[in-house]
Amino acid sequence: MSPLFLKYLVWPLVKFLIAFLIVQVIVAAMNWVERRTLGLMQARLGPNRVGWKGLLQIVADPIKFILKEDIVPSSSEKVAYFLGPMLPLIPAFLVFCLIPFGPPPTYIAARVNVALLLILALTSTGVYGIILGGWASNNKYSLMGGLRSAAQMVSYEVPFGLSIVGVLMLSGSFDLVKIVRYQETNAWNFLAQIVACFIFLVAMNAENNRTPFDLPEAESELVAGYHTEYSAMKFAFFMLAEYSAMLVNCCLMVSLFFGGWTLGMFGVGLTTDVLRSWGLWGGLLGCAIFTAKVMAFMMMYVWFRATFPRFRFDQLMDLGWKWMIPLALGNIFVTGIIVLAGQERLLYWFGGGAIVLTAFYLFRPRPKVVHASRVSEA
Amino acid sequence: MQVEYPKPSWSDRFLLLDFLEGLRTTWRELWKPKVTIRYPEERIEPANRFRGMFRFSFDRCIACKLCAVACPIDIIYIDVHDEMREVDGKQKKLKVLDRYDIDVKRCMFCSLCEEACPTKPKSIWLTTKTYELATYDRNDLYFNMQQLEYWEERPETTELPGGELPAIEGEAR
Repeated sequence: MSPLFLKYLVWPLVKFLIAFLIVQVIVAAMNWVERRTLGLMQARLGPNRVGWKGLLQIVADPIKFILKEDIVPSSSEKVAYFLGPMLPLIPAFLVFCLIPFGPPPTYIAARVNVALLLILALTSTGVYGIILGGWASNNKYSLMGGLRSAAQMVSYEVPFGLSIVGVLMLSGSFDLVKIVRYQETNAWNFLAQIVACFIFLVAMNAENNRTPFDLPEAESELVAGYHTEYSAMKFAFFMLAEYSAMLVNCCLMVSLFFGGWTLGMFGVGLTTDVLRSWGLWGGLLGCAIFTAKVMAFMMMYVWFRATFPRFRFDQLMDLGWKWMIPLALGNIFVTGIIVLAGQERLLYWFGGGAIVLTAFYLFRPRPKVVHASRVSEA
Repeated sequence: MQVEYPKPSWSDRFLLLDFLEGLRTTWRELWKPKVTIRYPEERIEPANRFRGMFRFSFDRCIACKLCAVACPIDIIYIDVHDEMREVDGKQKKLKVLDRYDIDVKRCMFCSLCEEACPTKPKSIWLTTKTYELATYDRNDLYFNMQQLEYWEERPETTELPGGELPAIEGEAR
């Protein structure tokens, strides 16, 4: 085997497979984590019967999916019906070879200098599967779900892309590795780009059809939306694609705004150089930091789902077009001027101030409320 | 009726701080203890006034049939015969119970039989705190007086996951 073959084909493939397997485990585990956390937040216990604290649910669910009968509606468009669940899987998995999990070059499968563009292009093709599946089911609810998903994807892809522009202007590169390296020498981007970070957070919820924006699968209106007619493993594929896409967006969020695998700002702390000097363990520590951050954002999805009620469709469109896009454009404008003037520090002060003010608002002293049922006890 | 909602202030509309309040609420809810009782493993003891399964006492019963009269759906079946017995050196005619059956499957647990019972303490009462009455056969819910009296020592027909028998609390009165 020639060294070139090894360098450009074998090693990237091995790295991708390892990342892929870890992602699969995380996706399977998320199913349990989400249901359990959701239960705890809703004053119940969640799945706790299978194994210790219900942990074997991770194994039980896939077994159930495999053993279930795979029903194909007789009036469905067969080829498109089969393609539906497969199509969103491919981009969702492919993206993981572009994401740096730890200090490069070891912990990234393929370093591309336009990685961010590629990721955006790949993830937005995920909606094809949903539309195709919704249409091929030959069911009005499925079709409505697919259409809604398409409309939502189109409107939120715009603020999603625009919110990244500010980060690009600051770091001057589409390369995720360079963006992370920029953040460790300067501040993490959520400080400099607090507005963009917020828009990204909202848009990534909308992109993944997660709860405040889960209109494509709104149970109260559309049965289950685009996957109404899907059962067994095909349904599992839709779920897998959704959770993989969530994971991708969390990875993006961490890489773009929260310093990727590093745990330091302004060149202080656990930066890439420090991690590299510790050899293998440093690299693995970097991966662990990255995973911890990603899992924190996955929990954020669950937290949002437990908290927010679903938007109406016109409210969703209002938020996207009337608030998010102008806000993102304004953010680009302001960031552009400040970058031109070379005064990035202003952005840090603005972001830090916003965070401190929000914290003051949240933890402000408030009167203690006694629940009516407790009054008689006291 | 026209309901007037408080108009959201500018900061509420734009900064979405209410969303943070919502997140704070769910976060606090996450750490609160849950009220769920995992039934086969955990049980709650019913309150003292809880009406559970019947208990009957043959020794206290004077066979007056008042409970059977009081029963609104007539599910108490009593047979009695007279017997001459020596009580305190005199021959007395006493009523002796032959049959005291309750068709519990039709019972509504109204406790009127208990109220009608003239003995003190009551010879038929419902406050046993036993509520696990399910059987596989509806005829298993027809109880004769031995079964009614020794209901709590009956052989277990259902097995619990832990293999442990349920702890049945003593009667309230």
